[in-house]
Amino acid sequence: MSSEYLIRSLLMLFLALFSANASNWLYLAKLSSVGSISDEETCEKLRGLIQRQVQICKRNVEVMDAVRRGAQLAIDECQFQFRNRRWNCSTLESVPVFGKVVTQGTREAAFVYALSAASVAFAVTRACSSGELDKCGCDRNVHGVSPEGFQWSGCSDNIAYGVAFSTSFVDIRERSKGQSSNRALMNLHNNEAGRKAILNHMRVECKCHGVSGSCEVKTCWKAMPPFRKVGNVIKEKFDGATEVELRKVGTTKVLVPRNSQFKPHTDEDLVYLDPSPDFCEHDPRTPGIMGTAGRFCNKTSKAIDGCELMCCGRGFHTEEVEVVDRCSCKFHWCCYVKCKQCRKMVEMHTCR
Amino acid sequence: MAGAIIENMSTKKLVIVGVILLLFQAFSFMVGGLIAPSPTTAVHYLATKCVDTVKTHHKGSKWFMPWGPDQCSKIRDFDEATAKRIEANNIVFAVHIPLPNREMSAWFQFMLVILQLDIAFKMQNPIDDGALVTLDVGLAYRDSTLSEWTEMAHSIEHRKLSCNFTATKTSENEGRYYDCDLLPFMEVGSVAHKYYLLNIRLPVNERKKVNIGIGEIKDIRLVGIHQNGGFTKVWFAMKTFLTPSILIIMIWYWKRITQMTRPPVLLEKVIFALGISMTFINIPVEWFSVGFDWTWMLLFGDIRQGIFYAMLLSFWIIFCGEHLMDQTERNRFSVYWKQVGPIVFGSFCLFIFDMCERGVQLKNPFYSIWASDVGTELAMAFIIVAGICACLYFLFLCFMVFQVFRNVSGKRSSLPAMTKARRLHYEGLIFRFKFLMLVTLACAAMTVIFFIISQVNEGHWHWGGYTVQVNSAFFTGIYGMWNLYVFALMFLYAPSHKRYGGEQSSADQGGNSGEDIQLTTTITHVDGPTELYKMTGKEAQE
Repeated sequence: MSSEYLIRSLLMLFLALFSANASNWLYLAKLSSVGSISDEETCEKLRGLIQRQVQICKRNVEVMDAVRRGAQLAIDECQFQFRNRRWNCSTLESVPVFGKVVTQGTREAAFVYALSAASVAFAVTRACSSGELDKCGCDRNVHGVSPEGFQWSGCSDNIAYGVAFSTSFVDIRERSKGQSSNRALMNLHNNEAGRKAILNHMRVECKCHGVSGSCEVKTCWKAMPPFRKVGNVIKEKFDGATEVELRKVGTTKVLVPRNSQFKPHTDEDLVYLDPSPDFCEHDPRTPGIMGTAGRFCNKTSKAIDGCELMCCGRGFHTEEVEVVDRCSCKFHWCCYVKCKQCRKMVEMHTCR
Repeated sequence: MAGAIIENMSTKKLVIVGVILLLFQAFSFMVGGLIAPSPTTAVHYLATKCVDTVKTHHKGSKWFMPWGPDQCSKIRDFDEATAKRIEANNIVFAVHIPLPNREMSAWFQFMLVILQLDIAFKMQNPIDDGALVTLDVGLAYRDSTLSEWTEMAHSIEHRKLSCNFTATKTSENEGRYYDCDLLPFMEVGSVAHKYYLLNIRLPVNERKKVNIGIGEIKDIRLVGIHQNGGFTKVWFAMKTFLTPSILIIMIWYWKRITQMTRPPVLLEKVIFALGISMTFINIPVEWFSVGFDWTWMLLFGDIRQGIFYAMLLSFWIIFCGEHLMDQTERNRFSVYWKQVGPIVFGSFCLFIFDMCERGVQLKNPFYSIWASDVGTELAMAFIIVAGICACLYFLFLCFMVFQVFRNVSGKRSSLPAMTKARRLHYEGLIFRFKFLMLVTLACAAMTVIFFIISQVNEGHWHWGGYTVQVNSAFFTGIYGMWNLYVFALMFLYAPSHKRYGGEQSSADQGGNSGEDIQLTTTITHVDGPTELYKMTGKEAQE
C-alpha cells in the first residue's frame, strides 16, 4: 500500500514538474529586486527556470541579464499589442506570469511563446552589439564561424548568436519533454515562428565605398528591425493563426490544420490547438483571466475595443472625468520636458 | 605600328597563348572565390549610454569605456535619465571598436563607420524639417588593454537627418521608429592600433538652436566596416605576383621597340604607358601599411586606380584613331586632344572630389562632404561633370569605332584590286583592330556581368562542400583579367622580329598605320617573299 502511494506521489511530482509552463522563465522580468545576475549561485535562486535552464544560466551567466531584459520586453510588447483586447496581457505576481492563460494551447499562448522567443533573441543580439557579452558572433557554437577567426574573415552576425541562444534557452523545456506531445510541438513551432519574425524582417542596408565612394566596392549587412515591428508582425500572425491538430504521418507526428480546406501553415505562422475562452468574466479557477469589468472602452468603435464587444454585452458606465494632461510641451533631447498642464473634461466609459 | 607579333604568329601559337591566358584567368577567379574570405566585414555596435558625472571628472581620464574593468556608469534608457535629472550634455555615447575579446589589425587596411539613429515617434516631439544633429565626437586609441587612451581626433560634426515615418502620425503609432537614412560618420585610412574608442555627445543649446527638434533619440547604432585580413593577404599576394610579370613583359616590350631603327610610334608609346600605369597599381606598396601608420594609403589607392582608368580609356581612343585608315597623318598625341580632353577633365574632377572627401579625412576622420549643403552641391557638381565627360567620351569612342568599321568595309571591297603587299598591310590592320575589339569587348562584358552578379548576389555560393565567395572572386578575377589584358596587349602588339630585315633596309619611316602614300612607295620592299608567304598562309588558314 505504501509503495503504491510512493509511486503515485512520485508520478504526481513528475506530472507537476513537466506540466509546469515553459514560459515560466518570463518571471525573470519580475525579478528586478535581484539586481544583476552576476554569479552562478544566483541562477539557482531564480524562480521559473527548469533545471536545464539553470544549467544554461550557469554556463552563460553574463547572458542572463539580457534574457531578463528580453522577458520584460516581451511583457511590455504583449501589453502594447493587446491593449485593446479583452485579455490585455495582465500579469500576476506569481509563476506563470500570465496565469493560466498561456498554459492552455490557445491562440494567446501561441502569441506569448512566439513573442518571448523573439524577445530573447532580440535582447541577446542587442547585448552582443553593445559589447556586454564576450562570445557572440565569434562563438564556436554558432553556425557560420570560420576557423581562422576574426582577423581572417570576421565573425558571423550577432543575430546568429541571439537566435541560437534563444533556441537553446527557450526551446529546451519542450525538447526535454521529447517531441511527441502536441503542446510541445505547438510551442516549438511558435517559438520558431517568433524568431522567424525577426530573421525574415531583417533590413538589408548597404554602403558603397569604392574609388571616390563609388559602388565598385559595396558592403551590405542585415540590421535587426525595431522590436515594435517584430511585435506587429507576430500580432498579424496571431490574427491569422491556424488551428491545428496532431496527426501521425509515418512514424513522425506533425501538426496539420484542423480544417483541411485551409492551406497548410508555414514556418512563420502561429498555430494553436484549443479555442480561446471569451475572457469576459473573472475566473477564479484560471488565474490570469481578470475579466473585462472595469476596463475602459471606446463607445464609437465597432471593433474589439468598442464597448459592445469589450464589455461582453453587460453594458457600461459613463462618467465625465476631468483629465489633467500635458500640453504645449517643450522637449529637449534627451531628458528635459517642460509642459503646461491642461485640464479637460473627458467622457470615460467603463465596463460593468 | 607595322607588323605586330599577333599578325605573324601562327594560329596554333595564338591559340596556345590564349589558352594559357585563360588558365591564368580562371586561376585568378579561383584564388578569390575559394581561398579569400569575403572582402569586407560589417560589425554592429550599439552605443552604451554613459553618464558624465562630476565624480568622473576627478578621476582624470576623460574617456568613457562602455565595458570592461573601468567601465563608465551607465543608464539603460532615457526614462532613467529623466528620473535622475541627468542633462543631455552629461550623456556620452561610448563605443569600443572592436567588440570584447577581439583586436583590430593593420591587415584591415581601413575602417569606416556608419551612424544610425533610432528615433522614436512622439506626437509632441516630432523631427523638424531639415533637422540638423550636432555631434561632439572624439576618437581615441590604445594598443594594450592596460595603457591609457590617446586622443586621435576630436571634432564637432553636423549631420542632416533625413527620416520619414511610414505609419500615420497618430498617437496609436507613438513609439514606432522613424526610417532614417544611414549617415556617414567616420573613415580612417589605416588601422594601426588594436583598440579604438568613440565618445559621442549630443550637446543641447536652446539659444543657439543646437540639437533642437531632433526628435526622441532612443539609441545610437554604429556599423563598422573594415576589409577582412584574409582578403588583404590574398590581395597582396596577388599583387606581389603580378608586379614582376607585368614588369618583365614591359621591359621586353620596350627592348623590342628600341631595337628597331625607327623611333617608336604613338600607339607603341601608349601601350607602354598603359603598362606603366598597370605596374603602378600593381606595386604592392600596401605592404608598408602593415608596418607603418600611413592613413593616406586609401587616397593613394584611389589615385592609382584613377590613373589606370584614364590611361585605359585614352588607349582605346588612340588605338581606334590609329586604325582609322583614312589617309590622314596622326601619330601625334595632340591630334586626340578632343577625345582625351574629356577623360583628363573628368578624372581631374573626380580627383578634386576625392581630395575634398578622403583628402580632408586625413586631417579629420569625421569629415564628410555630404554633411553640408554646399559640400553636397559641390560633390554633385563634380560627379555630374565627370558623368558628362564619361558620356562625351563614349560618344567619341562609339563614333570612332563606327568610322573604323565603315572604312574597313570600304577597304574590303577594294582589297582584291590592290597589290598583294598592300592588301596584306590592310588585312593586318583589320585583323589587329578586330582582335583587340573582340578582346576588349569580352573583358568589358565580363567586368559588367561579374559586377552585376556580385551586386545581386548575397555574397557567397554554396557549391558542393565549398563556399565560393562571389565578391572576392569578382575583385581578384577582374583585377587579374585587366592585368592579363595589358600583358597580352604588350606581348601581342609588340613589333615582330620577323620584320626586322625589311624595315632596316627600307627604313619604313614611322611605319604609320594610316600612311597610304608612304606605303605605296615603300611597299615593295617592306615584306620579303618569305614573309609574304607566311602571311598568305595565315590568311588561308583562317
